Amino acid sequence: MKFIETLKLAIAAIWAHKLRSALTLLGMIIGVTAFVVVVSLIQGFNRYIDEKIAGIGSKSFTVQRFNFEDFKDLDSIAAAQRRNKELTLDDLEYLRARATLIDKIGAKARASRSLVKRESKFAEDVPVDGSMAVIAEIDNTNIAEGRFFTESENDAAMRVAFIGMDVANALFPAGASTAIGQEISIAGLPYRVIGIAEAKGTVFGIPQDNFITLPLKTYGNNFGGFTRNRLLYFQATSKTDDTFVDAVDEARFLLRARRRLKAEEKDNFGIVTPDAITGFRDRLLGPTYIVAIAVPGIALLVGAIVIMNIMLVSVTERTKEIGVRKSLGARQMDILKQFLVEAVTLSAIGGGIGVLLAWIIGTILTAIFFPTYLSIGAILFTVFVSGGIGVAAGVFPAWKAARLDPIEALRSD
Amino acid sequence: MSDATLTSPAVEPVVQPEPPRPHDAGSLISMRNIWKTYEMGSEKVHALHGVSFDIPKGEYIAIIGPSGSGKSTLMNLIGCLDTPSQGEYWLNAKNVSEMDDDELARIRNQEVGFVFQTFNLLARATALHNVELPLIYGGVSSAQRHEMAKKALAAVDLTDRMMHRPNELSGGQRQRVAIARALVNHPSILLADEPTGALDSRTSMEIMDLFERLHSEGNTIIVVTHEPDVAARAHRVVSIRDGLIEKDEKSR
Repeated sequence: MKFIETLKLAIAAIWAHKLRSALTLLGMIIGVTAFVVVVSLIQGFNRYIDEKIAGIGSKSFTVQRFNFEDFKDLDSIAAAQRRNKELTLDDLEYLRARATLIDKIGAKARASRSLVKRESKFAEDVPVDGSMAVIAEIDNTNIAEGRFFTESENDAAMRVAFIGMDVANALFPAGASTAIGQEISIAGLPYRVIGIAEAKGTVFGIPQDNFITLPLKTYGNNFGGFTRNRLLYFQATSKTDDTFVDAVDEARFLLRARRRLKAEEKDNFGIVTPDAITGFRDRLLGPTYIVAIAVPGIALLVGAIVIMNIMLVSVTERTKEIGVRKSLGARQMDILKQFLVEAVTLSAIGGGIGVLLAWIIGTILTAIFFPTYLSIGAILFTVFVSGGIGVAAGVFPAWKAARLDPIEALRSD
Repeated sequence: MSDATLTSPAVEPVVQPEPPRPHDAGSLISMRNIWKTYEMGSEKVHALHGVSFDIPKGEYIAIIGPSGSGKSTLMNLIGCLDTPSQGEYWLNAKNVSEMDDDELARIRNQEVGFVFQTFNLLARATALHNVELPLIYGGVSSAQRHEMAKKALAAVDLTDRMMHRPNELSGGQRQRVAIARALVNHPSILLADEPTGALDSRTSMEIMDLFERLHSEGNTIIVVTHEPDVAARAHRVVSIRDGLIEKDEKSR
């Protein structure tokens, strides 16, 4: 019996019991959907971080007060707060003057939340930070309108502002492009809008376009010193990609020397590289991934049991049919194939619907919450797994059917 | 298995089995000293006690007997649904008694056309598809299958009912579809098990007339029945009782 005949038979049998097939598949569909959504979230997150790193240049690194390791528990946070001194602009000058492998280096200060107003329009709790002009080059900041500020504007502590798209839209309902050159009030002081950053959407529900960046010096003058919540941190690039690791090491040794750390002492500052970010991500999320994939895996297992159960019912129901087919010359292998293909087809339909649903959910998630990504590999894997589940669920019922004695089967009602 | 349970092992055979002859190469069916024994727990029950007979090609034969006589067991053996415990069964010059399940399936497909009391058509399939079934298992290509099935349905005057499902057909029409299905592969034998058992007397007559016509066209027909009227239409009647052939007479 040809495969295409067997497949036609399977589809006809599934179609003959539409409601039952649909209910049978529910477990499978839920399992596959959950599985694929989780996988696409994980893949989307990984890609997001990879893109982020590519965006800031994989060859840039950050020097900051704390290390990732300092946050592992309350004791180490407290210890780091005692040991790790705040970074200063003198530290920056020290590095700039001595480092031979660093191409660009600049400082940023962490944001304060402020009320921003323009005439009757206002935005509350907008994160406002300070930055040197060179940071825009290091960050590869994309500009939608206007320009980033210059180093001389920073040196002169001019009251100019580079704003995010959400802020522009909130204050300038007539259109973001009308904002350039206009005056806005930040924490009670007037500033001139000189540029708007390209929109980035939201990540984990956190809007990425709700910010204002001021020249570092302006920020320091008007918001208070670079301490507490306005900590300074540095961003730097290496001269060449090949010397990136050396540039990081050089910066570390320079800072250790400046702070007179002994050989056995730990760094009392943190250096964050792209590798450290991905490494941290993997350490943090590795166990989460396993759980996130295992839970839908259980749903898939339940789906498989449901399919096996319904296939057993189907074999019992169709004992007479099996007898008739055997009397007409069906071999054991023909009957085995018939039921196995039916189980696999059922399961593959469930898998297909599951993938489709997951894709729709993923698209919605991407639009409102977080970028998801569904690779062809993940789809193929899922189809393969659902086919495998069909085989696993169908093989026992199919074997039972194939082994039926034709005389007994013909006699059944 | 009802036949077997009703046949007590203690009962002495009514007629002693004749000494077996070598199988008749000229016969379509040649059974030699066939025994069928079932194990019921620790007891052995003999459903057939050494049955021997021959059926030449083109014969129209009825096998009759009360329930429990071994009649159904014999039919299952003739139809290659089962193999004898002892003895030789030659069908169309093939020794069927030694075959395994898959070989038997092949023989059923090629050599035997079954007609059942309750028609046993697939409810969800059209008449045409039902008739095609044996051809599907015989590996016949789809186009050829269609042609053969249409021809078989035409032979039982159902050309205009080809696309109907069994529940859209009368009992007599269903049985004719079943007969078309049995004949579509041009089998050596047409084996009917109480073919009129589920039909009214007028329709029964029609079916028996059809059998007669098929016989006149050269088909070998074996009807298993307990109805004397049906048996009377055959040209030879074999009576089974207690697992043995009681009578074997040519009626015309």
